[in-house]
Amino acid sequence: MPSNHMGRRKFIKQLSSICVGLMTSRLWSANSSHAATQKTPSLEYRTLGKTGLKVTAVSMGVMNCSDPAVVLRAFDLGINFYDTADCYMGGRNEEMVGKAFQGKRDKVYLQTKVHAHDEQRMRASVERSLRRLRTDYIDVLVWHGHNSTEEVSDREQFDFMEKMKKEGKIRFSGFSSHSRMAPLLKEAAQCGYHDVALVSYNFTHSRDLKEAVAMAAKAGVGIVAMKTQAGGYTKEKMEGLNPHQAALKYILRDPNVAATVPGVTTIEQIEECAAVIGTSLSQRDLRELKAYQAFLENRICTLCGGCTGECSCGVPYGDLLRAVMYHDGYRNDLLAKETVKDSLSQQIWQRCSECSSCTAVCRRGLEIKEQIQLALTLYSHDA
Amino acid sequence: MGMVAGAVFASGAWANPSLLPKEPPEGWILVDGPRIFTKATLFEHINGQAELFFKYGFQRCTFAVYKDRSNPDQQIDLDIYDMGNVLQAFGVFSRFRDEDRPMGVGLDSTLDEHSALFYQGKYYVALYATESNPDVLKQLARKVSENLSDPSPPPREISFFPKEDLKPGSIQYVSEGFLGHQFLKRGFHGTYADGDKEFQLFLAVFKNPEEAKTGLRAFRNYLSNKGKIAQETPAGFGPDVVRGKDPYQGDILVLQKESYLVGVAGSKLGGKEEERLADLAKRVR
Repeated sequence: MPSNHMGRRKFIKQLSSICVGLMTSRLWSANSSHAATQKTPSLEYRTLGKTGLKVTAVSMGVMNCSDPAVVLRAFDLGINFYDTADCYMGGRNEEMVGKAFQGKRDKVYLQTKVHAHDEQRMRASVERSLRRLRTDYIDVLVWHGHNSTEEVSDREQFDFMEKMKKEGKIRFSGFSSHSRMAPLLKEAAQCGYHDVALVSYNFTHSRDLKEAVAMAAKAGVGIVAMKTQAGGYTKEKMEGLNPHQAALKYILRDPNVAATVPGVTTIEQIEECAAVIGTSLSQRDLRELKAYQAFLENRICTLCGGCTGECSCGVPYGDLLRAVMYHDGYRNDLLAKETVKDSLSQQIWQRCSECSSCTAVCRRGLEIKEQIQLALTLYSHDA
Repeated sequence: MGMVAGAVFASGAWANPSLLPKEPPEGWILVDGPRIFTKATLFEHINGQAELFFKYGFQRCTFAVYKDRSNPDQQIDLDIYDMGNVLQAFGVFSRFRDEDRPMGVGLDSTLDEHSALFYQGKYYVALYATESNPDVLKQLARKVSENLSDPSPPPREISFFPKEDLKPGSIQYVSEGFLGHQFLKRGFHGTYADGDKEFQLFLAVFKNPEEAKTGLRAFRNYLSNKGKIAQETPAGFGPDVVRGKDPYQGDILVLQKESYLVGVAGSKLGGKEEERLADLAKRVR
């Protein structure tokens, strides 16, 4: 990894030059990989679970992108898997993707989404997506935002996807999720209804999720990781390391992840992400990345909920920690203040600030008391 | 409904029912809400789409559901997004608006069979109907509009764009990554049609003229490295102008004026495009 004051350009160059050993290094060996790797000089492809699709490990979340130039740059870089949704920008996001890939459809894989409704509405949604994407098939159609295991193993939803497959409108199906992902992935591994799972997965998440990802991947579910950057930390905070690349590399270390879909909005960002493709890490890089990981582990609350209800004064630790994360990580004080304001009454805040016997303990070793103290210092006037 | 009479606690925040219309359209009732979603909870409401709203300064969302008394399958979801200011509200509206089908509500609006969208002051309002129901959508949108008190006028930059050849409803405000570039940050663009040929006028917004000059230098560098720079520039645009070929936007002509970069992009630029660019540049102040 770069020295303390390495610039972004130099870092990208260095990443490009140390590309070969990530998956072959002993530490990162992919013995249990279900997302087998295959390299070309500049790209790394992984198999998307039982779909068999060879997708670029660094792919693209198109969601917030406003200009087709960014999508076309991604295509020129060799990226072949694109995630959009029926509802993003009221369908305009799908339209942009469809227009950008007109004449190139056979060279890319498109993933979009559908919301669970009655069959008539779901069919209409699929038809709209096909029209907007200017195609007669969707490579991967996923349910938008599953929250419960019941949804994951819903037989009726599975039957709908099977119909869509038989009719040739989609090739593969799956679900997306932002919360309770570990139990949902385990359910997916058991029920066998899903080819793909699009899950929020980044350096802030717990071992539980990592294990669930492995379990699902072993069962043939192609894992696509979204929210890979988790907001990103500022350069100063990470001693010169580019936060987005580091976060992406972190998640690409997991061989059970078939593809990552970082949400990018500029040509510069997609180039930055693509520079991570196929990278390897020297021993020095590995040491520094481990240090970075340790740095993060002591500072970031993964919102696992393990400390919920532990305070006798009724202080919602998780909300305070989230506020600190917004302050420290996202550098978004407004969001932090709002979190505090929404979560804590003045009374609870008072009790917390006067309490001399804080019992807060984090199962992941986070310095929880320090963080609560920081929240008290920063936001006591906003409660 | 009792819910409308007082403040309601939902999703961790006190909802302000005054944003909702006092009476729904005849024959319709409020069945859910008002519920408030904040930056911390918007994901629970609209999933990944929340990120787009954050990029436009999202403050909070008031959500409610209305149903037709005689046919409960007919439902309309109402979202009133407080975006902080009129520029951000227009920005989100412009990203969602599909085609130009105005319904005469708010500062600008669009209506189709299943949805009605408009922005007014700092508010972006979206109504979605489960069944085709443009009449009731329009009625409810009008009632919501009457209740919103922010009198801010539309962003002034919209008026800079010449009307001639402008595709109705095509002006968008992008809050970051304008034209796909980090160095341009934010700006407006509008699509123009000259017969079958389309081109785009754009306006990148900077804090001051110095930053705009830096932006022009960055643009020149980008074109030198990734595209082509033309040696000759058209007369009448002053010294701070760059002409070239962008690998993804096509021919491009861009100049700095005040705190803006004003430009035109298209597959092949000619007299018409330059004329429209001159019109746009003239209006920028």
